[in-house]
Amino acid sequence: MQNLIRVLIAAATLALLASCAATGENTGQEQTTAAQPDATAQPGVTAQPGQEVYSYPYGQAPSLDSYDTFDTRGGGTTAAYAGGQPGGQAVTGMSGGATASADRIVYFSYDSTDIVPESRTIIENNARSLTKNPQIVTQLEGHTDERGSREYNIALGERRANAVRQTMIAMGVSPQQIRVVSFGEERPAAPGQSERSYALNRRVEIIY
Amino acid sequence: MKLFLKIILLTAWWLGIGAAHAQITLDITKGVGGSGIPIAIAPFGGNAPVDIAGTVAADLKRTGKFAPQPPEVRADYAVAGQAAPGGSRGYIVQFQLTGAQGGQLLNLSFDVPANQLRAVAHRISDLIYEKLTNEKGLAGTRIAYVAFGGGAYYLVVADADGQNPQVILRSSQPIMSPAWSPDSSRLTYVSFEGRRAQIIVQDIYSGARRSVSAAPGINGAPSWSPDGRRLAFTLSQDGNPEIYALDLASQYPVRLTNSSAIDTEAVWLPDGSIVFTSDRGGSPQLYRIGPGGGSPQRLTFQGDYNARPAVSPDGRYIAMVHRRGSRFYIAVLDAQTRQFRVLTSGGLDESPSFAPNGKTIIYSNGHGVATVSVDGGASQEIALRGNARDAAWAPYGR
Repeated sequence: MQNLIRVLIAAATLALLASCAATGENTGQEQTTAAQPDATAQPGVTAQPGQEVYSYPYGQAPSLDSYDTFDTRGGGTTAAYAGGQPGGQAVTGMSGGATASADRIVYFSYDSTDIVPESRTIIENNARSLTKNPQIVTQLEGHTDERGSREYNIALGERRANAVRQTMIAMGVSPQQIRVVSFGEERPAAPGQSERSYALNRRVEIIY
Repeated sequence: MKLFLKIILLTAWWLGIGAAHAQITLDITKGVGGSGIPIAIAPFGGNAPVDIAGTVAADLKRTGKFAPQPPEVRADYAVAGQAAPGGSRGYIVQFQLTGAQGGQLLNLSFDVPANQLRAVAHRISDLIYEKLTNEKGLAGTRIAYVAFGGGAYYLVVADADGQNPQVILRSSQPIMSPAWSPDSSRLTYVSFEGRRAQIIVQDIYSGARRSVSAAPGINGAPSWSPDGRRLAFTLSQDGNPEIYALDLASQYPVRLTNSSAIDTEAVWLPDGSIVFTSDRGGSPQLYRIGPGGGSPQRLTFQGDYNARPAVSPDGRYIAMVHRRGSRFYIAVLDAQTRQFRVLTSGGLDESPSFAPNGKTIIYSNGHGVATVSVDGGASQEIALRGNARDAAWAPYGR
């Protein structure tokens, strides 16, 4: 069982590295296209750079059909971070539209919040830089795969992030340097409904 | 086309030492496609920009109780009508419903602007349905759901057939768990704007929105009390997820649960008590507490995963997400008979929500949104764009 988890994590890490390398150029493209829909895809609404939420009165609201940004089924999940980042936001490092790099992602088994030995090194490296730089605050973002109830998955994602938090605190990081947010299954790293995608999605991202 | 429905009746299920279990399932298969009341529907004359007859036929077919036919077919009932420019508002729509012996059952006309033609078609469907079944129809109701595409999340309000999808919120961060106020004028939902969870209340007609909870950690699973004055939701500010109730006037949330486990997904019963998901027993199951909290009573015992309750408007049924093996189903618990039934064929089914007639459930299936009848009809997909999920059916309201 332990070996299986090791193989899985190694494969996941490699796959993630490979996909980062392969989509390096696209990340830049996504950013430029993401800036445009604010001005063009919203008839009647003045685009405000940096604003990430728009609400509309029903009856004067745009039809969903007026948005032409929909991908084919299951696609588009890697672009989940597109769109303007609000100014003055405390959490940075995600504005590039990509997920965290592999040395900042901790993976989990199905239905588990256990930190496997391989992940300890990743947590340790991050904990070390946090103890060295007490002015830095990290946001631990918990995620699950898409199976099961969405809100229950929010709770499971938080449990995973808290497991990483406890480990960091045990390694000497101040609790004041750590914030926890769970996105549950709402921001998958990998699209589709394969076991491989699910393994990549059960994760905690360490965000600076 | 032959549709089959399958009811899997779970009449006994227990787990003992060594995981010995027994399970009796009963499969009932019957055709639905040919079983509806035949009703002949003629195309409406008059050059309206909306296909009224087609919309009425689709609405009636979706109820599962009617089998719409072309006008030349002899049927028990017949619908004929016209929609032509005129009147004070743009269009005059008139229709007649006649019985087999030629007796006139309905004969009505409407004076409407062009953008209300679809609404009139749904109204006609509901009038026919109510006349012939003595039950309230659903064609004129609406749903809210979350769509995702091109890096943006959308909160959408659409007609019950999925048409007329109006975006009421667009965000670059996730939106989840929309729930309607009892008067169907407001939605509460979770928004991750600013990269943290908040509970928002939005007036759908004015677009005005306010954040009612932005505590550290989880702000999740909001649901409206039957009187519309309070919200129940989940906060993890004390270290783990607990159920809170917030009086919308006082703005001060009161904690209702107290355990080291996950407590979340609270929904209200008509009497003010609350059903929620908790893994305090080792696996997620549904529990019930009184309006002010108290010691929870466990409601579900079937298998090791029952979550995300939804309560029918009359409080009789509790729908939920049920796991069996590695598949997730929509199941329903009859609070009167204690009978537990699995309604869907399973996969990634989640997020059940009752239609206001209490007889139909809308849910997500991992690919989109579908409906299924509480008494075990065939499930039907609703065509919605953009990875639609998390649908909530609006009450009859206004």
